[in-house]
Amino acid sequence: MAQQFAMVIDAAKCIDCKGCVAACKVANEVPEGQFRNWIKPTDVPVRPGPSNGTAKFQPGACMHCENPTCVAACPTGATYRDEETGIVVIDEALCIGCGNCIPACPYDARYRNAVTRKADKCNYCPERRAAGLPPACVDTCPTKARVFGDINDPQSAAGILFRKNKERLARVAAKTDTKPNMYYIGDPGPGAWGREAVVPASMVAMKESAPFIKGIVALSGLGVLAMLGRQLFAGSGSDHKEDTDA
Amino acid sequence: MSRRDFFRASGLVAAGAVGGPALLGGLKKARAASPAKPAWDSRFSVCDICFNKCGLIARVEDGVVKKLDPNPKFLKSRGMLCARGNAGIAQVYDPDRLKHPLLRKGARGEGKWQRIPWDEALDMAAQKMVEVREKYTSCGHLFTAGTDLHTQFVSRFAEVYGSFNVTSHESLCLVSGSRAFLDTFGEVPFADVLNSKYIMMVGANRFEALVTPDSIDLMTAIHENGCKLVTLDPRYTKTAALSHEWYPVRPGTDMAFMLALAHVIINENLYDPQWVEEKTFGIEQLTAHVQPYTPGFAAEQCGIPAEDIARMARELAAAAPASMVYPGRRTSDYEDSTQIRRSFAIVNGLLGNWDKPGGLLAARQVGLKGVPYDAPWYDENQEDRIDAGKVPMMFEHEGSFLVTRDSVLADDPYPIRGWFVYKTNPMGTAPNRKKTIEMMNKMDFVTVVDIAMSDTAWMADLVLPSQSYLERTDPCSGLQGSVACACVVKRDPVIEPLYESRPLFDIMKGIASRMDLGEFFDFTIEEYREMQTREIPEALGVMDRDGVYYNPSKVYGIYDGRIYKTLSKKVELYNQRYEQMGLDPLPNYTPPAGPPKNQFRMVIGRNAMITQTSTANNALLHEFVPGNTLWLNTESAANLGIADGDLVEVASPVGRQELKAEVTDKIRPDTVFMLSGYNTLSTMQSLSHGNGASINELLDDDYDAITGNASMHTTFVTVTRKVA
Amino acid sequence: MPDKTYKRHDRSDIFIHWFNAACWLLLLLTGVGLIQNPAIDPFGSGYPAWLRSVVGGGANLLTIHEGIGLVWVAGFVLYLLVNFRGAKFFLAEIFAVSPARDMAWMFKKMILMTLGPKALKMVGANPDLPDQGYYNMGQKAFAQASVVGGVVIAATGIIMYLSDRTFGAESTGMIGWAVTLHFIAVGLVFAGLLVHVYMAAISPDERPGFKSMFTGVVPGDYAKHHHRLWWEKVRTESGKGSE
Repeated sequence: MAQQFAMVIDAAKCIDCKGCVAACKVANEVPEGQFRNWIKPTDVPVRPGPSNGTAKFQPGACMHCENPTCVAACPTGATYRDEETGIVVIDEALCIGCGNCIPACPYDARYRNAVTRKADKCNYCPERRAAGLPPACVDTCPTKARVFGDINDPQSAAGILFRKNKERLARVAAKTDTKPNMYYIGDPGPGAWGREAVVPASMVAMKESAPFIKGIVALSGLGVLAMLGRQLFAGSGSDHKEDTDA
Repeated sequence: MSRRDFFRASGLVAAGAVGGPALLGGLKKARAASPAKPAWDSRFSVCDICFNKCGLIARVEDGVVKKLDPNPKFLKSRGMLCARGNAGIAQVYDPDRLKHPLLRKGARGEGKWQRIPWDEALDMAAQKMVEVREKYTSCGHLFTAGTDLHTQFVSRFAEVYGSFNVTSHESLCLVSGSRAFLDTFGEVPFADVLNSKYIMMVGANRFEALVTPDSIDLMTAIHENGCKLVTLDPRYTKTAALSHEWYPVRPGTDMAFMLALAHVIINENLYDPQWVEEKTFGIEQLTAHVQPYTPGFAAEQCGIPAEDIARMARELAAAAPASMVYPGRRTSDYEDSTQIRRSFAIVNGLLGNWDKPGGLLAARQVGLKGVPYDAPWYDENQEDRIDAGKVPMMFEHEGSFLVTRDSVLADDPYPIRGWFVYKTNPMGTAPNRKKTIEMMNKMDFVTVVDIAMSDTAWMADLVLPSQSYLERTDPCSGLQGSVACACVVKRDPVIEPLYESRPLFDIMKGIASRMDLGEFFDFTIEEYREMQTREIPEALGVMDRDGVYYNPSKVYGIYDGRIYKTLSKKVELYNQRYEQMGLDPLPNYTPPAGPPKNQFRMVIGRNAMITQTSTANNALLHEFVPGNTLWLNTESAANLGIADGDLVEVASPVGRQELKAEVTDKIRPDTVFMLSGYNTLSTMQSLSHGNGASINELLDDDYDAITGNASMHTTFVTVTRKVA
Repeated sequence: MPDKTYKRHDRSDIFIHWFNAACWLLLLLTGVGLIQNPAIDPFGSGYPAWLRSVVGGGANLLTIHEGIGLVWVAGFVLYLLVNFRGAKFFLAEIFAVSPARDMAWMFKKMILMTLGPKALKMVGANPDLPDQGYYNMGQKAFAQASVVGGVVIAATGIIMYLSDRTFGAESTGMIGWAVTLHFIAVGLVFAGLLVHVYMAAISPDERPGFKSMFTGVVPGDYAKHHHRLWWEKVRTESGKGSE
């Protein structure tokens, strides 16, 4: 069975210490003012007495969606979903930094890296994993709120948590349903803050013009075939005069 | 052109078109099936951004630290490294870091420096210290050092130089709590949060102020062990948000609350009579003492409903002995902060939680030994520390910075004209900054050793660049992590030292050898470590292998068959020593004053993303907390016509500052709050200079009557909107 | 008596034509391989995957495409420096349109080539084509499209090239449109290219014209009947022809 790497997160354990954000920034050389991950606070009315019991802080990052609208916005396939691992990848060497994918993520997980000028986002720290380490955010988290692994592997930590809590897993909803692969155990904190995926008008134009362009090329091709047919079957040589001279 | 020519030409073009870029650009190898492992070198060290000293693994590439990762074997940190730990790289590579020895050129605080060579700097430092000793005796020189593995060398130097005047930052922080618990239990305990079932968190912010093992264990206790957490705090902190219950207690009324808890526990017979009889002293006196402190009385004082106070007392007692009033750390808040913490300790005493799972634990055996030396005797010297005898129960080795400062300013009973400061920043940590400036101006010569141009360095004469923790060789240090571990750590350099920086040990050795005191520093750090670990010789090898050495010493039952180190040899609910000294043997509550009309009480607190001024210039942490703001209650702000984000002037009896207001429901209407560590005078901390407000400029210098610990919650301020 | 020949193209014209053709084709093949999006995939979704596997990945393909693109632009810049007069001449000719005459030629030629002279007679139109100049309208139309399209393709190509080399995030709107316009321009010129290749290289009628893209000269007879207005101009100029 193909792998599906994902995070299974217990938001109730998050203390908003920003350890994950700091670790990620350092490990991935994320430029100043830009972030690959975040912690969203729940808007809770401040009242003395017993707590309302909701999760107060929600750690998050790119959700490596099943139906990634960012991938659909990319003209070159520089970003794509790796079907073997379930990870949405950015091929940095191929990305030209056109910026189409940035507004296309309903969770604003992407940014155009100010230094490399290309699209960037959480990629589950492949170099660290190659060295046998967990992603930086997972490694550093004091309360181990973030658990990472292959949820299709019943032996992995993430797989175990995923199965055990199947009934009460939640995902952060967005106005565009991209089927995110980030699972929150029980109360996720803010549950529906995702916006609509926005594809830039230029990309919409490219997609919508494609059938027309193909049609025009096809028409042209048909015309060429007609001329060729005429040439082959209606005799060679000219059957019309090229000028007004007799 | 012939057809042959055409084909030749096209062929050339095609070849050039493909070959050219291939040669020029370089075709990247087809993407490998898996990414390459990083070309790191992994080296152990121990974090230095707060006092916790969490073990870490530094990933070094080409002599540059690329990442600091947790050491999974480091149980005290539960294998994690917080945001500040990760940001250590930004501290080490801070472009504003001190690089060379600097000598003041212009007036104090003008910021004019000239670079001098190390030899000249050490010659000068030694010469000035000798001059001070000659003019004012050894005690005429003050030594102030922060929490660091090299600090023991400052104490050693001070002692062999002959000065009794050694202070730390502890009297701006935790000495009242330490005093109170020490005087009640005979030693300062560690909280076994992990195994507790009910925790009262009062005046502590364990999820937010710091990330210590307790922070992590608290979450595990709540989440997996069914522990209940109740927080009392005038602010709705992150700890408050994550607690089962929170009450915005009126600042300064905690003692009433605690005595009311004791009232209920005693009157409803909710304590273990056998334990109290056998292990505690003073239950009769305590019983009589707490009668007036009814839940109703406390409710009026604290602003917490009486039924809830009574209920909490019953819940606390029901969960005993696996329940506690969390001792906390920073207790520099009121002029009776020691007595306040005595009331905390007394409730813990009633719960019978000493030396038991989920309660308060004694210090565990670590195994390190001190390295003795025979300090010389100086005939010409003062009788005692300058701050001696001015408060009844000051900790001798910590002193009281505020008492010292007042004494220095008054030359009472003798003058101090020399000051050596290492890795602490009194200008940025002590209240009433104007007085610290006055104190510095009084000095003949100030030498500061630091890695940044802190405000204290800014006001000094000689500034010496220290190595950062990732560049140093450090002696061993013992750490207590309650149930997790008792362990030993050390540091070895992870990278080559930057610039002309030197470790404090070399500096002390250099100065000492210029004063005929070289024999007291005649060893290497490696040799020193061997001495320290002489009873645990395997420790050094284990630290090299794992980054930490664990002493598998007892956790619970340390006090089986042992007496408590108090006059009664028991837990002193009633403190006989205080009685002898004319202090209240049982805490007496006085309702806190004010704040006066149209004024606010300023409270202080911490945030796990900064460490006061020491992270003021940390580029990474700056992204999380770019400046401080004044927390102002929504209603109060409305009354003052202040909107969120408005610039406000905050004025106290001793100073004024400006910063932006953060209008929020998360603080009581009568209270304001700001983080410390901002708006340095030093222009060489570019991220902090001119950014936000300096809380030190505003805080008044009251202090706890018993220990001389700073009282930082007793300053009242006005807040006015600044019209641009 | 052998037919007189007239010079149509000099060596730099011939070179730039074939240089353009070679670059354009390589750029088309690599460029289409750089598009990988099921909503667009001009040659189908198998094509980009196959081409990338041949060159060792999409990043390599991008490098190749950018490299050839730069060579292509450089080639034209050089041509303009070396033969500015020739470029001016060419541009003047392809934009010299006499609307009534040239539109009539265009319409009639299209019908004649596909349906034959009978179709024109059936609708009562005179099957004779109006005289044409140096270039006929078909050639002019395609040349105009190539030049305008080429400028758009080059400009948008340069924008995309510079995208991650100099442009900040605020320019992504422009870069996104550069991607789209590049695609559209290439598509439209390619449609014209299909006809151009047929007319120039496959249609037997134009064989002398095709040969002139190698030899540089056309026979007088061909010139007289296919580009009468030009033939009339050059035959009166001495030394233009050769036996």
